[in-house]
Amino acid sequence: MQDLKVQFFVSGGTVNAVDGVSFEIDRGEIVGIVGESGSGKTMTALSLLRLIPEPGRITNGRILYGEKDVAQMTDEEIREFRGNEIAMIFQDPMTSLNPVLRIGFQVEEAMIAHQRFSNKQAKERVVPMLQRVRIPAAKDRVRDYPHQFSGGMRQRAMIAMGVSNEPSLLIADEPTTALDVTVQASIIELIRDLSRELRASVILITHNMALVASLCNRVIVMYAGRIVEQGPTRAIFKNPQHPYTWSLLRSMPRVDEKEKERLISIKGLPPDLGKMPPGCKFHPRCKFRVDRCFTEEPPLDEVDPGQRARCWVLMKNIANPEAQAQT
Amino acid sequence: MRGTLLYIGQRLVLIAVTTVLVSSIVFLLLHQIPGNAFLNETRQTPQALAAELHRYGLDLPLQSQYVNWVQGVLHGNLGESLVNRQVKITPLLVRETSVSATVGFFALLVTVGLGLLLGVVAALRQNTWIDYLASSTAVVGYSIPSFVIAIFGLLVFGHYLYLWTQGTFYYVPGWGKLEQIPVPALALGLPYASYVARLTRASMLETIRTDYVRTAWAKGLKARVVVVRHALRNALIPVVTILGPLITGIITGSVVIENIFGIPGLGKEFVTSILARDYNIVIGVFTFYAALVGLANLTVDVIYPILDPRIRY
Repeated sequence: MQDLKVQFFVSGGTVNAVDGVSFEIDRGEIVGIVGESGSGKTMTALSLLRLIPEPGRITNGRILYGEKDVAQMTDEEIREFRGNEIAMIFQDPMTSLNPVLRIGFQVEEAMIAHQRFSNKQAKERVVPMLQRVRIPAAKDRVRDYPHQFSGGMRQRAMIAMGVSNEPSLLIADEPTTALDVTVQASIIELIRDLSRELRASVILITHNMALVASLCNRVIVMYAGRIVEQGPTRAIFKNPQHPYTWSLLRSMPRVDEKEKERLISIKGLPPDLGKMPPGCKFHPRCKFRVDRCFTEEPPLDEVDPGQRARCWVLMKNIANPEAQAQT
Repeated sequence: MRGTLLYIGQRLVLIAVTTVLVSSIVFLLLHQIPGNAFLNETRQTPQALAAELHRYGLDLPLQSQYVNWVQGVLHGNLGESLVNRQVKITPLLVRETSVSATVGFFALLVTVGLGLLLGVVAALRQNTWIDYLASSTAVVGYSIPSFVIAIFGLLVFGHYLYLWTQGTFYYVPGWGKLEQIPVPALALGLPYASYVARLTRASMLETIRTDYVRTAWAKGLKARVVVVRHALRNALIPVVTILGPLITGIITGSVVIENIFGIPGLGKEFVTSILARDYNIVIGVFTFYAALVGLANLTVDVIYPILDPRIRY
């Protein structure tokens, strides 16, 4: 993905939901995209399938999948692409399944749509698919409707739908946010196991840093429609360079640290996408800002091999960040 | 399945009770209207009138008349016409009902077909000229009463286009030609079609923005499949809800339309029989209407769980 820009044309002007986002994903890689609500992470993911809702539009950039540019595909090409090459699992399994169609049928039609399997094969594959996502008594439950399923089971059914065509990239948009904590772990485990079996890449969109730490190879941190930091998970967690990433990690309680250490909250709210501050978009909330941050937006520069951050200051140049952050 | 059958059984009993209640009320009220069926007879003497009244049991006290009538009904016999002697009412009403049902069926076809089409197209092309055209047509159609549309239809097809239609559409005396159906059916169905269109549009706009429709797109389904199977199927649920009252509206609306077009159906009988004080027919017509409305509503309620599996009886 190169220099992606998604704009919403609303009355009173345009809003840049995603602005100049570039990243790439290798086969088999699990990448986490983190950020607060409204940081553009869901829009970035939706644009991979060209599913941006009205009045939004992709106005710039290329989304290359192999040789093909998703942004340039014809309607029929993009239809054939969705669910076949890239599949998506949505946030709320309660509302993401059609309430009037049987679970089994909803899985089946996903397969029939791409003719990778004959209608008969598709029908036969439904029960094994449901078993594969560990739905108990799958044989009896294919004829159930979504309202007869629990939240966790519905998310499993969503996953079954997603992987039924063996896509090479699976986008999971906050797949566990709407679920019980006990169910969350098993869903995440399922996504990880399936991606291994299918040798598929995964984009995990979340604001749960713990989830990222346990699952992802690489992390992309987004803020106000931009990537502010990206790099290998280990590096980001150990040496976050952008103050936003650093604050996100310090706002998370940790078991292994001394109890005395206080959690740090990020004061204020993310900026209104319609009224973006000049300079670095994070400076109004940043504890470490310098004069330059008010006027000039920093580039996304390499700070360590494989790790990039969009900051003039960088955390490694700050002597005692904890003390400064508490003030 | 057993639950559904039980439910239908209960509803049928309720419909029967309602029908009996309606006919009883009509029976009592009807006899309060001054005059009787024999006032138009020529050369009437007081003796002749008394003889006629006696012949049909109309000189008995009201409660005895009621008992007699109920006994007849229980044997499937609604009596005979007081104005047109020897005419049995039950077969007459059955014949008239089938005429009305034909017109009503086509009116319903107009209502549902045109209403859904306009509504879906308007929703899919929201805020384009197609939407504005469909939506404003619906508002106009909904605002004009069906009898105005009926008279307008008469003018256009019977008068202005006479050279082209040669009066085919309704002018030919008598009833029973297929060409006579479309104009009255349109007049009867258009206002309701507009109502269905408005409801469908709103309902479709809601469903095409739901998460499960987004899921359907993300699965890579064809646009037609997404719109019909995922969006429309769910959008239909609220539309079916109003179908019951709507059918009732079409049934009662037929009273006006049939009189304007001179269609020999239940609706026309409704008016003429009251004017003629033909007691037996009036009560019969009302009884038929009550049963018809009840059955129409029951049909809708039976369709409902097929459309929405979350509903079970």
